Amino acid sequence: MHSLIRPNAWVGLKLPSGSTKVMQIIPNTTISLGKYGAFPANLVLGRPYHLTFEVLDKTSEENFSRLRIVPASELHAEAIAEEDEAEGNATPATGSANDAVITATEGEEFSLVDEKGNVVARSGREVIDDSAIQTLTQDEIEELKREGNNAGKDVITKLMLSHTALDQKTTFSLAKYKLLKTKKYIRRFQVVPIDVASFAQWQLEEKDASKIMDLRAEMFGLVGCWGNVHYGGEDSIIDDPHSRTDQGEETCVPIQTDELKGRWLAVDDTCGMLVAAMAERMGVLYPKEGNEEEETTTEQTAEAKQEVKTETPTQNGTAKENGDVEMADAVPETTVPERPKTTATNKKQKVRPRGSDFAIPFSQTNTLTIIHSTSQPNLSLLNYWNFDITAPNHPPHPLLNHLLNLTWLQLLKPELDTSYSTPPPTASAEELASWKPSRRGNFHRKRRRFARTRYIVDSTRAGNFSGLVCASSMDPISILKHTLPLLSGGAPVAIYSPSIEPLAALADCFSVPRRTAWTSGNVPETVGKSLEELERWEGNEQFPLNPTLLQGVSIHTSRARRWQVLPMRTHPLMTERGGADGYVFTAWRAKPAEGRVEARGKFKKIQPSSNKKASKAEEESTPVETPAAVEEDDAATAVKRKRADTLPPLDTEGASTPENAATDDVASPTKKRKVDGEVEV
Amino acid sequence: MDGTMAPVTRSQAPKISPFLEPGKTTKVGSLAILQLSRDNLQPVYLKAPAGKHDGYAEGAVVNTRYGSFPHSTMIGVPWGSQIRASKVDTGSRGRNNKRKRDKSDDNGREASATVTEEKTEQESTPAEVNDGSTAATKKVVADVSGFIHILPPTPEVWTSSLPHRTQVVYTPDYSYVLHRIRARPGSVLIEAGAGSGSFSHASVRAVYNGYPTEGERKGKVYSFEFHEQRYHKMNKELEEHNLDSLVHLTHRDVYNGGFLIDGKSPEAEAIFLDLPAPWEALHHLSRRNPKNPQDKDWVSPLNPRKSAHICTFSPCIEQVTKTVSALRRLGWVDIDMVEIANRKYHTSRERVGLNLSMDRGVNNSARDVDEALARLTEIETRFREHAAKSKESDDEMDGDDDGLIKRHEKKEQKGGKKRGGDKKVKIDHKPASPESFETPASGMPLWMEGRLITRGEPEIKTHTSYLVFATLPREWTEEDEATAAARHPVVGEQKVIGVVDKAARKQERREQLQKATGNRKARRMERAAELAVTAEGGASGVVP
Repeated sequence: MHSLIRPNAWVGLKLPSGSTKVMQIIPNTTISLGKYGAFPANLVLGRPYHLTFEVLDKTSEENFSRLRIVPASELHAEAIAEEDEAEGNATPATGSANDAVITATEGEEFSLVDEKGNVVARSGREVIDDSAIQTLTQDEIEELKREGNNAGKDVITKLMLSHTALDQKTTFSLAKYKLLKTKKYIRRFQVVPIDVASFAQWQLEEKDASKIMDLRAEMFGLVGCWGNVHYGGEDSIIDDPHSRTDQGEETCVPIQTDELKGRWLAVDDTCGMLVAAMAERMGVLYPKEGNEEEETTTEQTAEAKQEVKTETPTQNGTAKENGDVEMADAVPETTVPERPKTTATNKKQKVRPRGSDFAIPFSQTNTLTIIHSTSQPNLSLLNYWNFDITAPNHPPHPLLNHLLNLTWLQLLKPELDTSYSTPPPTASAEELASWKPSRRGNFHRKRRRFARTRYIVDSTRAGNFSGLVCASSMDPISILKHTLPLLSGGAPVAIYSPSIEPLAALADCFSVPRRTAWTSGNVPETVGKSLEELERWEGNEQFPLNPTLLQGVSIHTSRARRWQVLPMRTHPLMTERGGADGYVFTAWRAKPAEGRVEARGKFKKIQPSSNKKASKAEEESTPVETPAAVEEDDAATAVKRKRADTLPPLDTEGASTPENAATDDVASPTKKRKVDGEVEV
Repeated sequence: MDGTMAPVTRSQAPKISPFLEPGKTTKVGSLAILQLSRDNLQPVYLKAPAGKHDGYAEGAVVNTRYGSFPHSTMIGVPWGSQIRASKVDTGSRGRNNKRKRDKSDDNGREASATVTEEKTEQESTPAEVNDGSTAATKKVVADVSGFIHILPPTPEVWTSSLPHRTQVVYTPDYSYVLHRIRARPGSVLIEAGAGSGSFSHASVRAVYNGYPTEGERKGKVYSFEFHEQRYHKMNKELEEHNLDSLVHLTHRDVYNGGFLIDGKSPEAEAIFLDLPAPWEALHHLSRRNPKNPQDKDWVSPLNPRKSAHICTFSPCIEQVTKTVSALRRLGWVDIDMVEIANRKYHTSRERVGLNLSMDRGVNNSARDVDEALARLTEIETRFREHAAKSKESDDEMDGDDDGLIKRHEKKEQKGGKKRGGDKKVKIDHKPASPESFETPASGMPLWMEGRLITRGEPEIKTHTSYLVFATLPREWTEEDEATAAARHPVVGEQKVIGVVDKAARKQERREQLQKATGNRKARRMERAAELAVTAEGGASGVVP
């Protein structure tokens, strides 16, 4: 993450109104902020993030507005002045800060104001007449704005002064009125970098929350931490096999399962937001730092993205870029000696040394494998970090070597997938030299695609992933059915869902009674199967998943409540974004022991002798579970009791509860039953 | 206790912490977390079985209420494995190792473990006769019942298993904090008030991007702890976890001592203060000496090239007020205060119905109105029959309905099930007769019966602490501005981006369309526009 604003970087411009504009800062253009003014983009380029700028008035010599950096002391001038006042030392704040402060009349009580700054009620004071508020007419205000002096501060001051009831306003209402006017007229903005936190916030609150499945900041934190997503170790790229063009798939590099480390599996239906968050945690989202001053890479992307865009980046660019595939792939190969070294096809691109067709560009460690349900993954939001998975000849980006993608078909039935199952074409060097460049390009492209697909599919199917993270609209049970066998022992699972129901259904697959029935050998289908076979359990109606494959299943949610912290006016915000709460399912992959395992601990050995089926199940179930789980179950249960089941289920024991009272009076021979049947817990 | 245990060796320096790369299987000397039950986690350092340990013939043993687990059964297994309990003689150990005691009462007085990580919960295992004098490590025998799971350490399980030395920063809080203060691989983070180390472990995972070699800047955590015992304890822990080269722990009062390491700046860009009075430490975290900005000798602990992100963690609102005030005066921006409410949910099956199996957790009241109605009808029918019979016999005609019904019920009960069966009342979905009880009412197995529900945990944490976030932009001097202005001079700008007026937007759109004539989408748009025009024309043609 760079600390200075670089050309063509995507940034967020925070406006006084509280909204954020996300745009690409293209050099030599004018950035317009609507009513907050316009200024040349070059005036923010090369400046640090998080500074607040003020759009100054145009001087007579220049035809553009210059910017002024607003010091923090000025931003906080008002709060500081109020604080000082509250403490009684009415020393005015220092220097320039003071002219921005309009202090309120003292010694008044609080009052309530509505959204428009009108006083709704106040204690011990007459209510201000609604009509007698602002004497400036709209035209006059417009006129003032056109004159546009002093970055909007004049307008605010005039508005304040011409307010007939200003002297009647209390500190509280005055502050609120001022704030409202400031939001509307002051010409300031702050530049924030587009990182996962700020971008997701914007996407959630101002853009389209459904696109990222309502993922809130709290959820990114929870999913990332419970998924244990972190830097997965030094890159280790597989050596180039240097296979010749007349060699087929036998020269593909084999998967070295022991070398595969620090790999996470992801299912992402958030247009790449989840992938971005994971990549950020793994350190592969932002380009390497250090080359802060030299602008090599971004300058190139600049040319690629010359078209002026404000918000949505290249969704429509894919079609065009796909058309470029042939051209791009015609870039010369180092392994073909006869090939003339023409780099003319792609002048903008520095030609990276490219290995043979079967060279695998991916690292074996610190990778992110995404499984998608369409033939191409939808990772459109990654464009904001200058990564486009569809671009055939991508400028350097850390995700290129660390992001692997495959379809569910490739994972589950690779033999049906064309790019996996079609053997790569072969041709001798002479043959190749006689071909047209476009045919040659196609030939290499096919071979490269084959090698990559083969590697991704085989390495993914080799399993041993360090964790699974999901934010998907698909049923989580079906996802886990196929991904659980791929996880290494102890690997965490973190699944996000905007609503709790799918996660509850998932958690229910690992419920205590299910696990109990499974481990006690009551499931005929499991008999005689080895642990490996059971790991790849295909599921039936009663056991959609092997319930012993996950441990520590729980569902959480988190919610951040924001507060306003101001002198004497500290309280939680009145309104916040509603919508989906968001829940996270977490668990660890367990490796069950072979054979039947019984739990131990304090159980309720209160089973009355009975040959009833139901009670039999109970008998078997209780001891096989961990006692704590049983206790937990107990706590959740309102009615704790056990009784002989020879009796008709005519009543509940909780006879005193009003709902049951009637039944009891009429129908239940309670006393009798207690004597001969009931066993107290 | 005895010298036979191989000490945890740390000879090979860059050994990766099990927190960061646990490997595929458990290893000797590594930290492992034993999951006894869902929320009962216990950390253990695995020891090689080398002869007797602490009186156990099997070497080191973990005793839990779910059985005894010799370390030898937990070494070299894949993480996440389910471990069976072993038959361990816990009884004779007390006799042999401890002071000579009267043999008659050593059953009740088993020695509680003296090794800290082997907290013994006394639970007698089948005591078999074993003299325990064999020198070699005894071969372990699996017990008939009892198991645990062995998990790789992560900051989350570590936090859950922590012995509470101080207030712990839990996962919901630290996950959010690390996200907000932009702790990423390669970041340098300052943490003050290391406390129990939960945040340290989480933050080192967040900033880790490899173990540092000479002269290389890697992600690192600089941690400060004032409490001496906690400092020593934590230092030991970091060493045991192979995190000592990634976390630099200092024993210091940061209010007075500041955050420099040997007078040098750690160059941090993320800060987490879990202190009682964060405002007293804040002045150290400036770009320049706040008292004298011209002071050239003053060293800032912050990275001069980056914006710094801070979070303070305070339970009381007064602390927040003071912190925020201090932050404002020290030039921090984007000050934001939040509190995190986390909730955990349990799922269960809510089983309500008159005819469900008589299990724990079943609410034996009517499932719905139909069921209630059927049952009432049944009772009513029986009552009528009974009344008719009574009329015949012509006694007990006192007319008390309740009494009648009660007597009736009693009789019925004596009569047993046959009678009930005779008078079965048919209900379409579930017969309400006693017999129906023999098979699970719905034919569903126990675990699929009833409605799936979620409910919150019985006790929730309603308040942990207030989190105050703020950002300090990097310093930007006149010279910096001048160089930036020279690099990016204002030229005659033509194009406008951002909020553009209608005319400009239209013009742009037109250009875009022209450029992308081959574009399918553009063509579709054109077609739509054409269609609109023709439709308009058609409509106007009809109306006159």
